[in-house]
Amino acid sequence: MDLFLQLSANGLVLGMFYALSALGLTLVFGLMRVVNFAHGELYVVGGLIGWALTETLGLNFFVTLAIVVVVLGIAGYLIDRLLITWVRGQGEEPTILLTIGLSIFITNTALLIVGTTPQTVLSPFKSKPLFLGPVVLTQSRLFLVAICAALIVGAYLLIQRTGLGRAMRATFQDPMAAQLVGIRTAHIYGFTLALGAALAGAAGMLLGSIYVVQATIGGVVSLKAFVVVILGGMGSFPGAIVGGLILGLAEALWGGYVNTGYVDAIGFGLVIVMLLVRPYGLFGKRIERA
Amino acid sequence: MAFERNVLLTALVLALFAPLVLQGDYAMHIGVNIMFSVMLATSLNLIVGYIGEFPLGHTAFFGIGAYTAALLSVRAGLSFYITVPAAAVVAAVSGVLIGAVTLRLRGPFFVIVTLCFAEVLRLVANNWVDLTNGPMGLSGIAKPSLAMSGDILWQKVTFFYIGLLLAGISLFVSYRFVYSNVGRAAIAVRENRFVAQSVGIWPFYFGLVTFALAAGIGGLAGGFYAHYFSYVGPEVFGFSFMISMIIMVLAGGKGTLVGPVVGAVIVVLLEEYLRDFKELRFSIFGLIVVAIVIFLPRGLMGFITRRHETYKGPDKAIPADKAELRDA
Repeated sequence: MDLFLQLSANGLVLGMFYALSALGLTLVFGLMRVVNFAHGELYVVGGLIGWALTETLGLNFFVTLAIVVVVLGIAGYLIDRLLITWVRGQGEEPTILLTIGLSIFITNTALLIVGTTPQTVLSPFKSKPLFLGPVVLTQSRLFLVAICAALIVGAYLLIQRTGLGRAMRATFQDPMAAQLVGIRTAHIYGFTLALGAALAGAAGMLLGSIYVVQATIGGVVSLKAFVVVILGGMGSFPGAIVGGLILGLAEALWGGYVNTGYVDAIGFGLVIVMLLVRPYGLFGKRIERA
Repeated sequence: MAFERNVLLTALVLALFAPLVLQGDYAMHIGVNIMFSVMLATSLNLIVGYIGEFPLGHTAFFGIGAYTAALLSVRAGLSFYITVPAAAVVAAVSGVLIGAVTLRLRGPFFVIVTLCFAEVLRLVANNWVDLTNGPMGLSGIAKPSLAMSGDILWQKVTFFYIGLLLAGISLFVSYRFVYSNVGRAAIAVRENRFVAQSVGIWPFYFGLVTFALAAGIGGLAGGFYAHYFSYVGPEVFGFSFMISMIIMVLAGGKGTLVGPVVGAVIVVLLEEYLRDFKELRFSIFGLIVVAIVIFLPRGLMGFITRRHETYKGPDKAIPADKAELRDA
């Protein structure tokens, strides 16, 4: 029983991290209808910048986090304004191919610069264990779960409560009408991708302080994020959280009770079953099916 | 149709005489690579160009073919002439199974789920050590006896002609398929799913047939690869083969049979040419993909045929005094 509780706790923590890493993807996917296959690579870039600034330059963790968010935001804005704008309105396929090309470029350029060595972001949080009854968790993980929750709530409020968020939603409901009421839609597209990229980078840096960040993990991160988004339903914030928690729990329990070799395959199995049974995800709207 | 046939036949004749002109085993090695890439690109193109979906995990079939040939050769000691057809058959059967799941999905979901299948297969190849030797891979796959009877140049030339034969078969089958009723139905589905359904075409069935054929050709390429390099490891399911395939099909022009052949030749030569740059090569490839999507969405062949069409021009077909009909 204690083992079960411990595994569940690990799974829930892992699930929150998955939710955070999928947040930028679900936002861009749900609002913009842009399938960003370079999401995992933006995550890696965030992690690597975080590592470079904290480890080699000795910058403060939170200052670095702010820098990562700004840099990735600018990168996302430029990616949209320089690349994606060329293929907007041509359907899904060109965007998919474009972002795949971009991910190939980012991964291999990152490999050239930092090599294959796994790196860790220096964290100010202690890895001191906390005992909650039979369950043991480290302080740093609990802090990160709190930061994850704050970021998720912050992104949700930005979309639902601010002028920028309203302009975003208007643009994606009806670009023409949005233009008529004076919204500069080209900027809104750019800002949405910037927000997605900034969230991906922040996730990469935060999780890079617990796990490792490596130039080649982008593909796996993208895939897991897609798993979370499909499980939860695209564009849905509660969906991303629930999808992340399900994936985290399933992986932790499978790894604890069955075997560790196939842990990464669990998510893919879940996705295949989910798409066959409920293609619009747990929280998606019915029309948004695959 | 006639244009494609003529170009392909010319390419075949050129390839038949290539070993006479290009001496040396390095040139032959590149030739074998081109043949192998032509098969892979043709296979991917059947799905991208004729179903209109994008299977990012297409290496699944290549890997299944490679492992089938390797296992049959190493564990059962069967000869090249049995293992390679078996690789194609096993890959085609798994194509039916995987296609039955994935073809219900479209757009990004299709992309992701095909990728999931390739990842799962890679994990199996890595973890099922008893069968696949895990990360060590299977080595010592026998080469065909014909190739072993001579020196290294003779080996390469034999493999070149075997590759040419297999690539020729793949292209011939694809050609007959694309210009059959099944192929035309698949194109109708690609162009407009609902119109196709309204004239009685069942998209799922035609998609599945195309998928199985593409998987079979991918498996054929896998079997050939296994015997040529006489080693197969989990990296056959990896992403680097996928990157090459994507660029071949996109650069050449999807939805044409000549396009992927041209793309395969270009990519193989470019890979050799860029060998000095080593890791930078893949960064450049990423940029090439981005540039093609933006500037050359229909690939080289699409570009050429469009120039061809505008050169003949609809304007000349319509007399000047009827021109207002066209403009209206």
